[in-house]
Amino acid sequence: MSDSYLTERSAKDWKKSVKHGAGEWLAERGTSVALIPLVLWAVFSGIGLANQGYEASLAFVRVPLNAALIALLFLISGWHMFMGLKVIIDDYIGKPGTRGLLNLVNLLFCLAVVVAVLGGLYFVFKA
Amino acid sequence: MSKPPTASAPPRALHRPLSPHLQIWRYHITMFTSILHRITGVATIAGLLLGAGWLVALGATASGICPEAYTVYLTFAASPFGLLVWVGVTLAGFLHLTGGLRHLIWDMGLGFDLKTSNLMAWSGLLTAVLATIAVWFYLFATGKVVL
Repeated sequence: MSDSYLTERSAKDWKKSVKHGAGEWLAERGTSVALIPLVLWAVFSGIGLANQGYEASLAFVRVPLNAALIALLFLISGWHMFMGLKVIIDDYIGKPGTRGLLNLVNLLFCLAVVVAVLGGLYFVFKA
Repeated sequence: MSKPPTASAPPRALHRPLSPHLQIWRYHITMFTSILHRITGVATIAGLLLGAGWLVALGATASGICPEAYTVYLTFAASPFGLLVWVGVTLAGFLHLTGGLRHLIWDMGLGFDLKTSNLMAWSGLLTAVLATIAVWFYLFATGKVVL
């Protein structure tokens, strides 16, 4: 048997998807670019709030612009985290059943983080 | 390989490249920053959880659902171990940020040559370490964080 995969396996046998791929690629890059200013803002805000106490934190989050940026930061980073973890799971877990289960756990985990943050924001404003 | 062989004229024996064989590969800085990008991405999740915990604690305390939530949060977040996590998250986050910038530059089709790749790897590492030191030096120097 020859080693030539070009004669034994033609391009039509290669695994590829015509349905998705470009969307994920763009979403990974889009979330990355959006996170650059958001994370830098979060670092500066965190430095400003460090050791300033409960009231200062509450006042900061109650500013509508800050709350909106926090929501945006966690929505986008939650999405970014899901895609990043999914790539790792897809790379290292070969068994389809285990992979599917882990990706479901991944999705639920990322959703839980986003829901927790939005819930926290809701209660800060409701109070 | 400059040009893939055509199906009409198959080569006698096609030696395809094998997977990177870590034992015989000469160590190179870009292989370190490559896996570091993945590791720091996962490590940064700790920062996301610290941030989420802060907002949950804030909401629970402010709404009166669990008035002691913020104190409970601070007993972890302001503890020496919590501080260690914060510092680690700062470093991991900055490394992932500079690594991400490197990848975005590559995605634009730029900087693939060895010299630029090495330069981006080293400058990314250096920038992240310096940014982390700057943040924590400021926090300790201004007394915002005390041990």
